[in-house]
Amino acid sequence: MSDAASVSGHSTNKAGRFVYVSGVVLLCAWVLIPLYLLLVNTLSSPEAVNSFPKSFLPGFDLGSLEFFAGFSGMLVALKNSIIVAAITMVLSILIGAPAGYALSRFEFRGKEVFRLLILLTRAFPLPLLALPLAVLFIRTGLDDTAFGLALVHTTLAVPFAVLITFSLFSGIPLELEEAAWTLGCTRLTAFTKVVLPLILPGITASAIFAFVISWNEVFAAAVLTIENRTLTAFLLQTLSESPLHLKFAGGFILVVPALVFIFAVRKYLFAMWGIANR
Amino acid sequence: MSFKTKLAGAMTGVAVLTSAVAVQAEVLFWSTQARPAEEAQAMRVEVLGGFGPGVDYQPNEAGPWLTRFKAEIEAGSGSIGVLGSLHGDFSSLDADTLMDLDGLGVMSSSETFNNLAKLGTDSMQYVPWMQASYIMAANKEALQYLPEGANIDALSYDELIQWTANVHEAVGQPKFGFPAGPKGLKHRFFQGYLYPSYTNGVVRTFASPEAVTAWEKFKELWAHTNPASTNYNFLQEQLLSGDAWIVFDHTSRLAQAFNERPDDFVAFPAPAGPTGRGFMPVLAGVAIPETAPDKDAAMALVKYLLKPETQLATLRATSFFPVVDVDLPDDLPPAVRAAGDAVAKMSASPDANPGLLPAGLGSKGGDFNRVFVDTFERIVLAGQPIDRVLADQKRALAKIMDDTGAPCWAPDAPSDGACPVE
Repeated sequence: MSDAASVSGHSTNKAGRFVYVSGVVLLCAWVLIPLYLLLVNTLSSPEAVNSFPKSFLPGFDLGSLEFFAGFSGMLVALKNSIIVAAITMVLSILIGAPAGYALSRFEFRGKEVFRLLILLTRAFPLPLLALPLAVLFIRTGLDDTAFGLALVHTTLAVPFAVLITFSLFSGIPLELEEAAWTLGCTRLTAFTKVVLPLILPGITASAIFAFVISWNEVFAAAVLTIENRTLTAFLLQTLSESPLHLKFAGGFILVVPALVFIFAVRKYLFAMWGIANR
Repeated sequence: MSFKTKLAGAMTGVAVLTSAVAVQAEVLFWSTQARPAEEAQAMRVEVLGGFGPGVDYQPNEAGPWLTRFKAEIEAGSGSIGVLGSLHGDFSSLDADTLMDLDGLGVMSSSETFNNLAKLGTDSMQYVPWMQASYIMAANKEALQYLPEGANIDALSYDELIQWTANVHEAVGQPKFGFPAGPKGLKHRFFQGYLYPSYTNGVVRTFASPEAVTAWEKFKELWAHTNPASTNYNFLQEQLLSGDAWIVFDHTSRLAQAFNERPDDFVAFPAPAGPTGRGFMPVLAGVAIPETAPDKDAAMALVKYLLKPETQLATLRATSFFPVVDVDLPDDLPPAVRAAGDAVAKMSASPDANPGLLPAGLGSKGGDFNRVFVDTFERIVLAGQPIDRVLADQKRALAKIMDDTGAPCWAPDAPSDGACPVE
């Protein structure tokens, strides 16, 4: 009897483990396989890209990448993308984190409406907003500047920043802050010394969101910048109609900087689940 | 200095740094054409490289292209020097926002094109820039299945259907490719090819008994069409991959196949129906917005684009043909030669029935195309009865014609007022 129970317990344990492992493998494959195929096709010759069945090993043909190396304006566009994404990150956290703090710590009139209104900025499609925005930007001189575009991207990123930081602040007991106040901290120092280190991973997560939103946005970037085009606006519009091998190479070029950024900040992100920095 | 003032200082610094306005000496060429990366690069280097003051060539999708232009007009100042786009895009613009280009002294050698470029006013609103058309192309593997006695340069729709059926039977897969994807130019096939070939009209004959026959024939053709066609936008890709052996598309959307493997494919004229071999041109033009920062430089650029040698360079870069009289040299890229031959055969065929681009529809051009796309989707993809769909869509079409008052264009017989849907 007890033997049978331990056997069945063992097998459920085993089955659970199997489900867990296959889940992990599936999730990893879901992210990694498209990236791998992108890499393989970027490094293949046009003939190999168009042929079928596809090879799973790269041919190390640099033709497609070389084409983009000679494509005028790429580096400037890359620089612009980074500048815009960086300003977007800073602005959305500067605006979003205090809003999230206020939502979680204070009771005020219209709190629920405020939470809804924040989400509303995502309710209107950009092609609808782009025309009045562009007119306003041209009149005020913000047109064709990285800062102006970053303002638009910040509007898109702020809801995420607010909601992420709101839930994080709510997860940190008020008692921790109160304890800090009794030990001589002001509201500000209690925040910077006690709360901030605890929510750093959340800040990182919203920073990544802001970065990715800005990095991926095409329409506003295409309308609001001309000399200072972002890489996405610059490449994506030409890519959708380019031959397949250039699509892969261009996609690869668009993905790599975002990957590099996420790897650079990943240790802050992982700390969110209690894994030590490594 | 408090945290807040520091912050404000930092923000202002960032704003000042990033908003330093770039000096604009180059003419901004805001275009919807030559978008693919290789074409854009060729435009920048080989076509526009020779223009003294320099050009900033920016290809865009139609959405951002139009939004930016409208914003500049509304704001009353802008940075776009020259607009480049298709006739259909220009015809949806307000003619007052474009400079009259009569005084420029350049125009195309086709009177028809020059008249289209007036957009219904008395003066040229844009200058014809380059032209193309739609043709058929096939993988040489498919030639062995041509029906007996059929001449590939003078196919009829029945022969085309028989041919695709033979291939289907021999290979076991439907190998006709049709640009029915979201960005495919399927509506042009119906407007400029199928309808003129079967009904000798587009608008007047939209719901005629002949149109019913045309759609029945198209359904027969669809039975031998690769069902993935609803994802095909540029048939050059499917020609190269072998997913489609016989295809219909825009000449420049087939160019890559001919340039990469010129010996594997043939280009040939569109098929003919009971009322002739319907075909239609593609016309792109260049215009100068009223808000252009340096109109003299913009006018110089337009003149430069219309020079014979620039037109030839444009042909090499984009596979769009010149609109002025130019002697074509012998060393053109394979795609240009193949497409040029097919278009020449098409226009010279005894049963040629050339149509014109829709004109006078203004901002309703998109709705007009929508009528044909919806009709296609309902009849062919959803399998609805042809009579009923045509009767439904006829109302939508009649409303567009009444709202815009657009008169008939070839091959429809001329009309006094708005073109009637009979």
